[in-house]
Amino acid sequence: MVGKGILRGLATTARHLLETYIDDVKGIPSRYAYDRHFIKQPLDERGIFTIQYPEERRVLPERFRYVPMLIYDADTGEDRCTACGICAKVCPTQCIWIVREEDKTGKPLPRSQEFYIDISICMGCGFCAEFCPFDSIKMNHDYEIAVYHRFPDLILTKDDLVVPTTYYAQLYPEAWEAEERAREEERKRKEAREKALAAKRAAAAKKKAAAKKAEEAKKAGEEKADGKDEEKKA
Amino acid sequence: MADEYLEVPPELSRNVFLTTLDAVYNWSRRSSLWPMMFGLACCAIEMIAVAAARYDLARFGMEVMRPSPRQADVMIVSGTVTKKMVPQIVRLYNQMPQPRYVVAMGACATGGGPFKEGYNVVSGVDKFIPVDVYIPGCPPTPEALLYGMMRLQEKIKRQSIKTVPWYQKGRDDIPVPVLGPDVLDLRRKDEIKAISAQIADSEKYLDRLAEKQRAS
Repeated sequence: MVGKGILRGLATTARHLLETYIDDVKGIPSRYAYDRHFIKQPLDERGIFTIQYPEERRVLPERFRYVPMLIYDADTGEDRCTACGICAKVCPTQCIWIVREEDKTGKPLPRSQEFYIDISICMGCGFCAEFCPFDSIKMNHDYEIAVYHRFPDLILTKDDLVVPTTYYAQLYPEAWEAEERAREEERKRKEAREKALAAKRAAAAKKKAAAKKAEEAKKAGEEKADGKDEEKKA
Repeated sequence: MADEYLEVPPELSRNVFLTTLDAVYNWSRRSSLWPMMFGLACCAIEMIAVAAARYDLARFGMEVMRPSPRQADVMIVSGTVTKKMVPQIVRLYNQMPQPRYVVAMGACATGGGPFKEGYNVVSGVDKFIPVDVYIPGCPPTPEALLYGMMRLQEKIKRQSIKTVPWYQKGRDDIPVPVLGPDVLDLRRKDEIKAISAQIADSEKYLDRLAEKQRAS
């Protein structure tokens, strides 16, 4: 029959239109009412779904990455970064610049004094976050960073980059949990190792003390014998 | 609503007519920014995604991607700017009617990105044409591009007929760079001439030196 395909196509379009309205009223009173600003869009959602961007945002996956961020401990307020410079070395675009802190005598300290990332060339590969041995550099999810001037707005300093661990835990709940678990295990292992070492040391000290005592006793005995000999000679 | 459109700068607060005109002028301009339809690299894919139904640039009145620079208001430089492409980009920019805006989208257009030290890539399109908004990211997500366009709208909102460059005297066309063995920026003609003269001089001096040595 001529025109069957057209009719089928029109039916599909009509169904989409209808489903859009059905989807709209599913979250009564409306999809856009109240604070439904973060939309998750499950796989079985039907209808047309334009993301009305400034009003509503899509829920970003945990491993989404944009530009790096530096993490400091929210409890102690100390940076995790030790200025080892591994991130600067692996960065393919060479956009990281670290100045290490020094004490008065010029001895380097495990802290960064300045930390720059030129995000105007950062390609968001996430190598810095992968390679950081201290879990101090991670990829941020914030993409609203358009600016009017390249210099100096796009060269992020330490002040622009630092975020607390709480922020990181919020962005990466799974990774945060895994890392914490690993850290806890590491701590336990270290404790056990130290305990074993302490026990070993104590045993060794005990053995040593016993040996010393025996030696002393032996010496004393010999001296006694010597004394006897001398007495005999006399 | 009225407050949003009637943002009066303090120096213009007495000039009611002009500020009202500005508000209307800027509102109409920023509500129908027509981008030019051209993409350079992978960022263009994200630009296409923004124009498609999922993010829908039409909500901002920017859906009319013009294939001709004569009808475009904003140029989204989306991708790596190679030295071979830069003369064409500058020519397209010159062909756009005033007022014209440039958005550098992504790391490559902003600062060269991973190709910054490359032999064939211009490290940042702002070396040749003035850029209004920089959007970092590699590539920026569609939302990031939308945010950049919103920043551009904010910028337009703050402009005034009194101070905009296109009602001032003089043209601000940019001389199209020449692609030879390398890209020559014609704005730096005098500098280039001076340097090449210096080199020629030193070569002459070396020639003379060699001749002298040969003679002796």
